[in-house]
Amino acid sequence: MQLVSVIDNERLSTSTFMLTVERPTAMIKAGQCFNVGTGVSGVNREYSMYSDANADFVQFLIREVDGGIVSTKLAEMKKGDTVELAGPYGEFCIENTIARGDEHYTFICTGTGIAPFRSFVQTYGSLNFELIHGIRHEEEQYHAKEYGRGRYTPCISRPANGANTQRVTDYIQRNTLNPNTTVYICGNRKMIAEVFELCRQQGISGSNIFTEVFF
Amino acid sequence: MGAQLKISISYPPIVNSKGQKAMVSQNRNVQYFKKPTYLLPVVHSQAATWLDQKGYDVIWDDGNAQRKSYKQWFNDLVSARPDIIVFESTTPVMKFYWRTINQIKEKMPEVIVVMTGYHSMRMPQETLDESSADVVLKSNHVDFALVRFADFVATNDNWRETLDIEGFSIRNGNTIRDTGNFKQVEELETSPIINRDLTRWKDYAYENGNFLQTPGAYATSVIRDCMFGKCTFCRYNGPDLTFSMMDIKRSLDEYENLINNYGVKEIFDDSGVWYRGREARAFAQGIIDRGLHKKGCYFGINTRFEYLDEETLKLMGKANFRFILLGYEAADNETLMRLNKGYQLEHVDNCLKWMTKYGMHPHLTIMVGYYWQTKEQLDKTVSEVKRLMFSGLARTLQVTLCTPLDYTPYHKECQMAGVLTTDNYDDFDMSKLIVKTPIPHEEYYNAVREMYSIAFHPKFILRQLLFLLGLKKRDWQFLFTYSVRAIRRVRQHVFNLTQASKT
Repeated sequence: MQLVSVIDNERLSTSTFMLTVERPTAMIKAGQCFNVGTGVSGVNREYSMYSDANADFVQFLIREVDGGIVSTKLAEMKKGDTVELAGPYGEFCIENTIARGDEHYTFICTGTGIAPFRSFVQTYGSLNFELIHGIRHEEEQYHAKEYGRGRYTPCISRPANGANTQRVTDYIQRNTLNPNTTVYICGNRKMIAEVFELCRQQGISGSNIFTEVFF
Repeated sequence: MGAQLKISISYPPIVNSKGQKAMVSQNRNVQYFKKPTYLLPVVHSQAATWLDQKGYDVIWDDGNAQRKSYKQWFNDLVSARPDIIVFESTTPVMKFYWRTINQIKEKMPEVIVVMTGYHSMRMPQETLDESSADVVLKSNHVDFALVRFADFVATNDNWRETLDIEGFSIRNGNTIRDTGNFKQVEELETSPIINRDLTRWKDYAYENGNFLQTPGAYATSVIRDCMFGKCTFCRYNGPDLTFSMMDIKRSLDEYENLINNYGVKEIFDDSGVWYRGREARAFAQGIIDRGLHKKGCYFGINTRFEYLDEETLKLMGKANFRFILLGYEAADNETLMRLNKGYQLEHVDNCLKWMTKYGMHPHLTIMVGYYWQTKEQLDKTVSEVKRLMFSGLARTLQVTLCTPLDYTPYHKECQMAGVLTTDNYDDFDMSKLIVKTPIPHEEYYNAVREMYSIAFHPKFILRQLLFLLGLKKRDWQFLFTYSVRAIRRVRQHVFNLTQASKT
């Protein structure tokens, strides 16, 4: 475990904030997570890294959970405060598939499940990818412009101004995925289970589908 | 194949040369004991229930729990003439299973043998090469995969060529066909709650060292595998594994049924890690709202340090939770870091204090004999465990020899580091250390004996007597009921280690 200082804490929407802390002295792979604790509570939670694995800081995209013990405390953190980090952990990474060569990736996520994918994109600059992001409101398109033209598709389930509702499953049903793509899915378990089936129906092999559940 | 397939989910009795029985079921590291604990294989029970509900003729065939000899079990199985036999295996009994499968196929060449389990799912080709098994099921979601498999086989005579459900390796003549990676996240609400009558619940209700009261039962797990899933020695770790979670209300319904209709007095949920945070509080509140906390039934779970906060534990105490199993593993930060445990030693006391404050009995699981473990690290673990037990922060413990199993990251790490002293799977039964270590193996065996002997130490006994002042029934039961089992357990472990010292 390492104690690191908070560099910044930016509120991105009513529900979500981005916490930036000093980089711990550890080898980090894009897509990995850390156990983050506030020190005083004796309780920690896992959060996937939201930033470039090579940066000299680590960012987390955190949804503030109603009644949550850790997320509510982290939301109050200010520059100079200290958090506990343990890790990084996890194998939800793309380095093995990148090594295969000229890959196309489809990243599918809901809410803060976008975190490992931003980390992938920031770490591996030349990725050929499509990112499909399920969100409730327009304001949750965090850092969407960073992904480049035509790469980022928001699927908004509760859009303002009476626009059409769309979930990631609707999008995949209406669109054909690249048959040779490697699919990474991150978010709530129901979405993952449904998207896996849809990908299989489109002929994508189960061996090319990787998943990580967020709560 | 007709629609009325007869499917046997089978656990053969495995008895070693010392007359000890091996325990095999999911997430159990196989150990041999003279007086075994009978653990319900939860996911396979769900598979049996589901297949039964779909109209298949299901045989629940746990030769161990049904106290059969191997011969009796074998003859009964052959007499039953199933169309499909499903086995579950793990590293130390792979060779046993391969022999058994070959014997079965000699007697019943037409039967379809399906191998499940964390070893074969990592090495499917090996099992198909080394035995006459027909299929290796590579998914941890055995229930989902088996039901899909049975449905397909029942209606497709040429299933060996045409089955395209993900997660299978299939023998087809002289070739092996693989259907790709399995579906990692399933909607657990779809898989049924365990049929206790079909799976002979009483066979598992009494002989379990973790039950303070009997009859006890294992709940249908609310989390399949582990929501953390990063510990290097654990099977619930891999790029293709994540966790699935079940609805709270559904689990509460099962608890209510077990208590009201089966008279169960202790329920344990063996999920790799149980609910935490909001879900944990909602579950405990649900127990209270239904009045189940006043029925004299204790509840037990696995959790991790730093997962449950004080407010949640307070509610769980009120709901009559008792047995809390925590993976402590070691008392030095280097080891915890290398194992990816993800908790801090600094918070251990606090977590345990909250649990004991609200009447729960923390149970520590500890391992010794990591290939890097020094004398200093080992001594620190022993002294810290003593401190936690003497101070009453922990009530029971379980110490095992860290054994690399089932191609977990720790297993692969040992292979890479060249520290494995054997590649004979029979040696992976946790009865002796099989890795090179910085100090003699006997030092680790002594540490195990020393930690188990805490149960007889006057300081520990005095602490248990002091707990009686709280006038809680569970503390009286603990001292006067549990102690008998503790002695038995310690004797078995000491016996096993004595044998290890001789080898």
